[in-house]
Amino acid sequence: MTFYQTEIERIRKICYSNDSQIETVIATRNYIDNNYDKDLKLDFLSHIRFTSKYHLLRLFKRYYGQTPRQYLTDKRIEKSKENLINGMTVTETCFAVGFESLGSFSKLFKTKTGKSPSVFQKEQLSRSKLDLEF
Amino acid sequence: MKVTLISIPVRDQEKALKFYTEKLGFLKKKDVPLEGGNRWLTLVSAEWQDGPELLLEPAPNHFEPCKVFQDALMEAGFPYTQFDVDNVDADYDRLIELGVEFSVKPTKMGTVKFAVFNDTCGNNIQIVETL
Repeated sequence: MTFYQTEIERIRKICYSNDSQIETVIATRNYIDNNYDKDLKLDFLSHIRFTSKYHLLRLFKRYYGQTPRQYLTDKRIEKSKENLINGMTVTETCFAVGFESLGSFSKLFKTKTGKSPSVFQKEQLSRSKLDLEF
Repeated sequence: MKVTLISIPVRDQEKALKFYTEKLGFLKKKDVPLEGGNRWLTLVSAEWQDGPELLLEPAPNHFEPCKVFQDALMEAGFPYTQFDVDNVDADYDRLIELGVEFSVKPTKMGTVKFAVFNDTCGNNIQIVETL
């Protein structure tokens, strides 16, 4: 066994010995992955896992290093990029990934990616057109 | 400031290029000749071609402490670099088929599953799937 493996086992015992907690946060993340386009509320998530909202929030942050809300936002931005690349309009994309307001979607998209959704889409589409031309 | 480059120390750039493209599936992005046969050689993920570039740099050949550090990491089994994958088991099977040697088989730890292989260029590389 290498030093790395010994260290991994040592850390596992200290940080990852609570299987039921780990199972809960993994199930929560899977739930977000499969339902990011819906109006997700932590209350609802915690009911599914028979736990309190604040406990679930703490657990998720403890194991994934970010809150469920932050994870959901990243997921939605990632999916909206895919939709924009595939030619969906900005408005369609906004609602398809679960955002409720076009303004807040555009602002958030720009904060996270450095570009507005429409500029991002234009660049992506002109890029694929350029590939064909050169 | 933006994060766009990750460097991996390698002893033989040509050998590394072959391993990282042919076995791991990266694509060559930039190849600039420098002095003494050295190159500025970067790769990108096939599925994320506008993502960060991987620089295969021949530092261990030119800077002794880098070589010492790399050897120590290798001997201790430590991966200094890791890549995200969708499915560790599937990549493990695929790479085993290609003759890649693993020091850690797919292993679950908390909210991730990971494995560690030898890149044949002096490094342990970890692949990780978030569960």
